[in-house]
Amino acid sequence: MRRIRKWGPGLLLVSPSLIALGVFVYGFIGWNVRVSFTSWRGLAPKYDNVGFANYRALAHDPRFALDVKHILVFTGVFVGGSLVVGFLLALLLERGVKGENLFRTVFLLPMAISFIATAIIWRWLLDNSGNHDTGLNRLLDLIGLDFARSDWHKTASVWAIAAIALPAGWALSGYIMALFLAGLRSVPDDLREAARVDGANEPRVFWHVVRPMLWPVVMSAVVILAHISLKTFDLLYAIDGKNINVDVPALYMWFTTFDGGFYARGATIATLLLLGVGLVIVPYIWYTVRSERHR
Amino acid sequence: MSAPTTTAPPVVAGPVTAGRTAIRSRWAPYLTTFRYLALFGLMLFFLMPVYALVITAFKHPAEVSVSRMWELPASLSFASFAAVWPKLQDGFLNSMMLAIPAALISSMLGAMNGFVLSKWRFPGADAVFPLILFGMFIPYQAILIPMTQTMTSAGLRGGLDGLILVHIIYGLPITTLIFRSYFVGISDEIIEAAQVDGAGMLRTFAFVALPIALPAFAVAMIWQFTSAWNDFLFGAVLTNRNYWPITITLNNIAGGQSVPFNEAMASALLACIPTVLVYILLGRFFMRGLMAGALKG
Amino acid sequence: MTQLVSAPAAGIRLEGVWKRFKGGVEAVRDINLEVEPGEFMVLVGPSGCGKSTVLRMIAGLEETSEGRVLIGDRDVTSALPQQRDVAMVFQSYALYPRMTVRQNLGFGLRMRRVSAADRTRRVNEVASVLGLDHLLDRRPGALSGGQRQRVAMGRAIVREPRVFLMDEPLSNLDAKLRVSMRSQLTLLHKRLGVTTVYVTHDQIEAMTLGQRVAVLRDGALQQCDTPQTLFHRPANLFVAAFLGSPSMNFVQGHLAGGAVRFADVTVPVDGGSSLADRSVILGVRPTGLTLANGNGWPTMSIVPTLVEDLGDERYVIFELDTPRVDTEATRAAVDARAADDALLTPDERAHFTARLPADAPVTVGEPLDLAVNPSRLYFFDPETGDTIS
Repeated sequence: MRRIRKWGPGLLLVSPSLIALGVFVYGFIGWNVRVSFTSWRGLAPKYDNVGFANYRALAHDPRFALDVKHILVFTGVFVGGSLVVGFLLALLLERGVKGENLFRTVFLLPMAISFIATAIIWRWLLDNSGNHDTGLNRLLDLIGLDFARSDWHKTASVWAIAAIALPAGWALSGYIMALFLAGLRSVPDDLREAARVDGANEPRVFWHVVRPMLWPVVMSAVVILAHISLKTFDLLYAIDGKNINVDVPALYMWFTTFDGGFYARGATIATLLLLGVGLVIVPYIWYTVRSERHR
Repeated sequence: MSAPTTTAPPVVAGPVTAGRTAIRSRWAPYLTTFRYLALFGLMLFFLMPVYALVITAFKHPAEVSVSRMWELPASLSFASFAAVWPKLQDGFLNSMMLAIPAALISSMLGAMNGFVLSKWRFPGADAVFPLILFGMFIPYQAILIPMTQTMTSAGLRGGLDGLILVHIIYGLPITTLIFRSYFVGISDEIIEAAQVDGAGMLRTFAFVALPIALPAFAVAMIWQFTSAWNDFLFGAVLTNRNYWPITITLNNIAGGQSVPFNEAMASALLACIPTVLVYILLGRFFMRGLMAGALKG
Repeated sequence: MTQLVSAPAAGIRLEGVWKRFKGGVEAVRDINLEVEPGEFMVLVGPSGCGKSTVLRMIAGLEETSEGRVLIGDRDVTSALPQQRDVAMVFQSYALYPRMTVRQNLGFGLRMRRVSAADRTRRVNEVASVLGLDHLLDRRPGALSGGQRQRVAMGRAIVREPRVFLMDEPLSNLDAKLRVSMRSQLTLLHKRLGVTTVYVTHDQIEAMTLGQRVAVLRDGALQQCDTPQTLFHRPANLFVAAFLGSPSMNFVQGHLAGGAVRFADVTVPVDGGSSLADRSVILGVRPTGLTLANGNGWPTMSIVPTLVEDLGDERYVIFELDTPRVDTEATRAAVDARAADDALLTPDERAHFTARLPADAPVTVGEPLDLAVNPSRLYFFDPETGDTIS
């Protein structure tokens, strides 16, 4: 409890990490917020105070409005799609099939490669600029599904960014599959057997016994996917960074800060991104840590 | 005396699950077949981009065109690899010099943190942990500007030092999490026995805790290596041309509009080899890192 | 015979020790205990009674909220475990999984910077005494439960500490092994002569191993005496109910005019005329009841409801037409024994057990006369549970 000699060494050992994180995470966040209250523009830092002017400006910024729309579409399609595919994969693998390891390895493989590589591969599959067809369209032709052809992210509609959910989902579905697999397999056999003996058929066993226990997994999956979605930069930058139709806050922040020199505006966008992520992550961390304590 | 034949539906013994043979309904074989088909189909979908990547990389430059994209190469050609490797080489080396030290140091620090936070707690340790955890989830845009400013003033911008430092620090939350989760699962009594035997914190950590935590070390190393190797944002902001990690190099080679696809694919393939190799050989540990990152220990 | 221990044994003294946990839980309340140098002291009581906490406070693994802990004559209350020169055997053995048996045994010596030569010598000695020679290069994972237990003991012995602390070291072994290890422990203690504090919830273990036994309940010390004294002169209802198998029989009674009256029986009490009239709880052990043998002992006519035949003796269970004694103390004792005396029957009447020789003519349902030994009666205050002398 209060015996310093007992816990002192421990604190000493972790203090470098604590200090480093204190500065590099919380210190920098605070600093960034400070910048968002300035009118810094150009390479030389300027720490005046313009209050919420930058935030107000963003609220009226058509590009930012577009970005928000895009990120919402992207998040919706990406999260929804990954959840569905991941769950489906887990469901198919749950009972145990021959070659499960092979399947799992394949589905998780995209997680090992960088988003840049993913972007490069999928660009060829999806990109139809330069007067040639896209690889994916070509494939669809070949297997007779030509009705599914599309301009993917080169379309002019707000759904352009939904096409990017394809590589993103490809990369992350395996992760969601792993989560659901662990969740499904943690349902004790006894519970299912008791239900069967009580007369439930398989679909009902699933609905009444398994499904309620999957709720935490779904929550985790949604939170993780949502926060990744907001953070996504590499993938979009490399697939088609300059395309306004797939612009998102993260890209806007990059270009406006490092290309345009509008540091204050960049800091403002970054702060808003942080708030967005914080909205999902903080409750999640709090909930997880609290339930660990009650175990 | 023979029993009268019944009209009950035929019962098929199902596959052995967890050591038990379940009596299954007669639909079971059809369901199983359906499952295999579905899995196979999905596997094809997932491998489709990989297939495109590999065959394009091995095609002779003249063969490459969208219309014949999905056809196998007429003959295996290493021309594309030969063309891109000189451009990738430096990036490859830089990434190696970045990822390995970053992974090692970050894991070591994470081990110490995880140990203290779970087994040698100080007052407030349980409150500090979520604060550390938060650092894992933040969008890096929120610290990008301050970071660039700090690194510039510290003279750490441009070379690999700053990049390594940054990867170590921002890798601390996940490595701490991995080790802490692992140590939480170890009984307290072993640590207490070490104390009674006369070991203080450092010796308990070095002689008792660390040897036990070798699996966690593997997980942390692999995760950090992959994370550092695949990073783009920090590399883009903190390094000069000579020290670009492979992701930057890759993007430069393959990012343009007029790049021949075979070169783009070949460079992507080369860039992915280390992490994919690690993944295939040590996939078990990779999985555990994934689970830890979902706070599922 | 090798001389395994060279350090002189130290006594232990706990003075006014309290332990309060967060949330106000008082796990240990005002314990005053003295363990003589070289003594084998057992701490026994139901789970949650604080015995493990007391042990850990002696080890230094828990801080005292109040009070002092002295080992030898040194006040170690604020000393860290590393500094106390005690050795501990944990319930789960807590062997270092990545070290060999040899390294496990030698770890404590290594921490105290004993030279490698001395270390090897002492480890080999202890290994041979405990029969671990052929296991020295194995890891704990490759050992059986009994072997692991011996390594845990060896790790403590090799340190030659002033005090051994043992936290239910036998409870993870199967019954047969437990019994044989018990005698090994006693022999080891005779040989080494190290002060030992031993924690268990099993009253049989306590009675057979301890030179003195301290009974704890709800963090408070009930009584600390030799097993014989505890058995024959319990200080209160709980101690009386907790020790002894089968447990003591209790019934409400009334003390008046030099005799005690319960159910329909009146038993004269020696020197009872000096006591004031009062109601009491009467206790008599199953061995205090015998077949009516005409030697002047008061008798009672009972109808056995159950006879348990154990080969060389019989337990005869019968009911008395009087309410069952059901106080906190008796309930705590019953729960603690895990002997499942809990009755599934909703009966409110008092159940008695008598221990009779195997050839006693007892049949279920047939009336029988039993004699009550007047010198084997115990009286307890119905309010406090303390013994009335």
